[in-house]
Amino acid sequence: MKIKGNYKLPASRSVVWDMVMDPEILERVTPGIKELKELSQDQYEAVSEVRVGPVKGNFTGKLSIKDKTEEEGCTLVIDQKSKMGNVVAEIVMNLASSDEGGTDVTYTGEAKMSGTLASMGQRIMSGVVSTLSKQFFKSMEEEIDKRSA
Amino acid sequence: MGEFIGKSVKRREDARFLKGMGKYTDDIKLPKMTHSAFVRSPYAHAKIENVDISEAEKADGVVAIFTGKDACGEYGVPCGWQVDFKNGETMREPKHPLLAKDKIRHLGEAVTIVIAETLEQARDAAELVEVDYEELPAVTDPKKAMEEGAPLVHDDWDSNAAFDWCIGNDRAEVEAALEKAHHVTEMEYRNQRLAPNAMEPRSYIADYDVNGDKYTLYTSTQNPHLIRLLMCAFVLGLPEHKVRIVSKDVGGGFGSKIYHYTEEALLTWAAKEIGRPVKWTSDRSEAFLTDAHGRDHVVKSRMGFDKDGKIVAHLTDEYCGMGAYLSTFAPAVPTYLHGTLFQGVYTTPLIHLNVIAPFTHTVPVDAYRGAGRPEATYLLERIISKGAQEMGMDAAEIRYKNFIPPFDGVEEAGYQTQVALQYDSGNYEAALKKGLERLGYDDFRKEQSEARKNGRLLGVGISTYIEGCGIAPSAVVGALGARAGLYEVGQVRVQPTGKVSVFTGAHSHGQGHETVFAQFVADKLGIDMADVEIEHGDTDQVAFGMGTYGSRSLAVGGSAIIKSIDKILEKGAKIAAHKLEAAEDDLEYASGKWTVKGTDKSVSFGDVALTAYVPHNYPEGLEPGLDFSSFYDPSNFTYPFGTHIAVVEVDADTGAVELQRFIAVDDVGNIMNPMIVEGQIHGGVAQGVGQALLEEVAYDEAGQMITGSYMDYAMPRADDLPMIETENTVTPCPHNPLGVKGAGEAGAIGSTPAVVNAVVDALAHLGVTDIQMPLKPQTVWKAMQN
Repeated sequence: MKIKGNYKLPASRSVVWDMVMDPEILERVTPGIKELKELSQDQYEAVSEVRVGPVKGNFTGKLSIKDKTEEEGCTLVIDQKSKMGNVVAEIVMNLASSDEGGTDVTYTGEAKMSGTLASMGQRIMSGVVSTLSKQFFKSMEEEIDKRSA
Repeated sequence: MGEFIGKSVKRREDARFLKGMGKYTDDIKLPKMTHSAFVRSPYAHAKIENVDISEAEKADGVVAIFTGKDACGEYGVPCGWQVDFKNGETMREPKHPLLAKDKIRHLGEAVTIVIAETLEQARDAAELVEVDYEELPAVTDPKKAMEEGAPLVHDDWDSNAAFDWCIGNDRAEVEAALEKAHHVTEMEYRNQRLAPNAMEPRSYIADYDVNGDKYTLYTSTQNPHLIRLLMCAFVLGLPEHKVRIVSKDVGGGFGSKIYHYTEEALLTWAAKEIGRPVKWTSDRSEAFLTDAHGRDHVVKSRMGFDKDGKIVAHLTDEYCGMGAYLSTFAPAVPTYLHGTLFQGVYTTPLIHLNVIAPFTHTVPVDAYRGAGRPEATYLLERIISKGAQEMGMDAAEIRYKNFIPPFDGVEEAGYQTQVALQYDSGNYEAALKKGLERLGYDDFRKEQSEARKNGRLLGVGISTYIEGCGIAPSAVVGALGARAGLYEVGQVRVQPTGKVSVFTGAHSHGQGHETVFAQFVADKLGIDMADVEIEHGDTDQVAFGMGTYGSRSLAVGGSAIIKSIDKILEKGAKIAAHKLEAAEDDLEYASGKWTVKGTDKSVSFGDVALTAYVPHNYPEGLEPGLDFSSFYDPSNFTYPFGTHIAVVEVDADTGAVELQRFIAVDDVGNIMNPMIVEGQIHGGVAQGVGQALLEEVAYDEAGQMITGSYMDYAMPRADDLPMIETENTVTPCPHNPLGVKGAGEAGAIGSTPAVVNAVVDALAHLGVTDIQMPLKPQTVWKAMQN
């Protein structure tokens, strides 16, 4: 399944970059995350619970960040297991300064699913991913608001 | 014709089905019964590194958990048909363990069974089983499975081929004729994989009784005796006389319930291990992943014509996916049930088919309504229509030119094909003529050209099919690789009061045997239908049987019953003669009584029955009782045929296909119950139209099924179909006593190419000559744009 999207965040690239690199913030803003444990530099173990429509499940597994270029982008590697099937994904995130002084976040990647997650159909899963992405950026925005307040 | 034969008697079984009173396996609750859930692989191909059941074992209500390391894993389910390589090498037949031990070979393969007090507890505990896999590359496409370097499904062999087989004339001779042909039509396509989707999912309950060391398996199968034989003799090594298989009401099979599934044997084994009954019912998601699929042929074919449109030669190469293991009938489906129909209804003098059957990392493929014949018919009926289109001929005209002339199989001999079989009787032109008349073919062509002027895309598609049913003479199927005989058993027990119990080895899973069989039994005995009861689906009740598939119930199972009726009447005549003090030869039997010819002296069937069981005054030397069992092994297959015509309109903007008319002219031999035959045709046509327009099982590159629910697997619905217009011609089968041929699969066999031919015809003026099934709007739209 292809994953693609973009979002405008009302903060500078350096602020956004710092937030994304902060495991505590990530734990707060990523929907469904119950636990994010740092294993080593840029390597995390994540426990999450996803509940969107018919897709409900507990996921456990690894999250890691690679190909980091400060304030420009990185690649997020996801390897999560659940009873509904497993997800392996690589998502490339790029940050660009927007005209209004904010940051354009674009992300693109591919997720491979197995088991029920795969057989339930890509239509549902892409909906789930887009809902989760929106929640993620919404929470990022709230986090930015809190900081500037 | 008697009082009941040929009448549309309403189905007896429907009273209970319509009221929700049917007794399916899942409705059965045994005392102390446990429930089970499977842990299934989320990968198509993987190594099992570890199975950890420690957490699951602690869960509430868990009774037992078994993995591939338990004793059950040593055994496997066998294949029922052996098709060897054309070079003489034996078919490659992998072990098919009841639970995967080291390796996963298809998505959904069972790794662990969790047995608990309730279904919810079993499912909850199954979630706690931790399985570590190492995912491996998979291959799901039959042609790609034969490419160099393709991942191997079984490491025991150096390629994925289960066998490489051919039938027909010498290949070089066929190729030479194609070289010289005036015109050669080519086709390359995939006959897509289908999920059978029986309304009742598979369901099993196994019970072990320590008193007498006896097993009972309640199972939703099409062939209870065959399951018992396979499970006892090959899988579990149980004594056959201590095992009872019960399959009473079964909600549809379509071939997918022929297969002896691993779960049937595993539950039977587990019931003894835990000393309690254990139940498993598949849910719909499991059904998509684990029920045997149908079709999956990758086809390349060339048909040569002379300048008048006569077929001169036909050469085909196919890759037919077997799935990860060989299911019970799988090897026969793309070979002896497929290649033997390549003559079609045409006089083609040279035919050659080569079939390579690879293993793939997918659920096994087995028979699906028509089993090999729909695939043959699709090819023949598409390629002849494509040939006509390319040569500027009319689709009906080219068929008339090539038809085998009518023969009744009595006065005129049967027709010897180039592909092993001899057709019993046929009149192919009559069916086409009737279909074209019903449509108003010439008027339709005028309407079509008018419509085109207004930008409307109308099309008509013809399919003149033949199929082989009533499978079949044991000697023939044995020579073709069947590991069983294909006779049938029919027992007729006249009770002392003259009521009749009939035990048939055929199995009804929707066909209506309880009605149709009672109709002809009542007529042959001259008694009321209410006095006849049909019993099936219990190995303790029915002596033996081969079950129902290949539209064989009436032609083979019915004939076995007729044989027993003949024996009943023969013995009854002796008793009647004794009672009437007349010579047997002076008696005639009609309307349920023996009468001394030319007199009014008679004795009724009921009186004779009572005398047989109370033999106080009885013929000397004659055994008491009136109960006969017969085995009937037919002398040939039967060959139903017919013409299906579809009329479609294609939406010029969206490519959506509207099926406007569907005319089915079927010749199924003599008809016992026209309503039931019509119902069978309707259901079959719906499934055939489903394949043409909607259905497809799709796996992605990694072997994940991306059509695993009804959101993505499109089944035909009522609004996809017009009212089906049915007609019949009647060409009796010359070699069975009822003159019947079989009607269960005809609808699914004839309809698919009719629909596709119609869509191609609608777009012919745009230069479209072929479209890949299913004909989804985007597929049709794309074809229109090119």
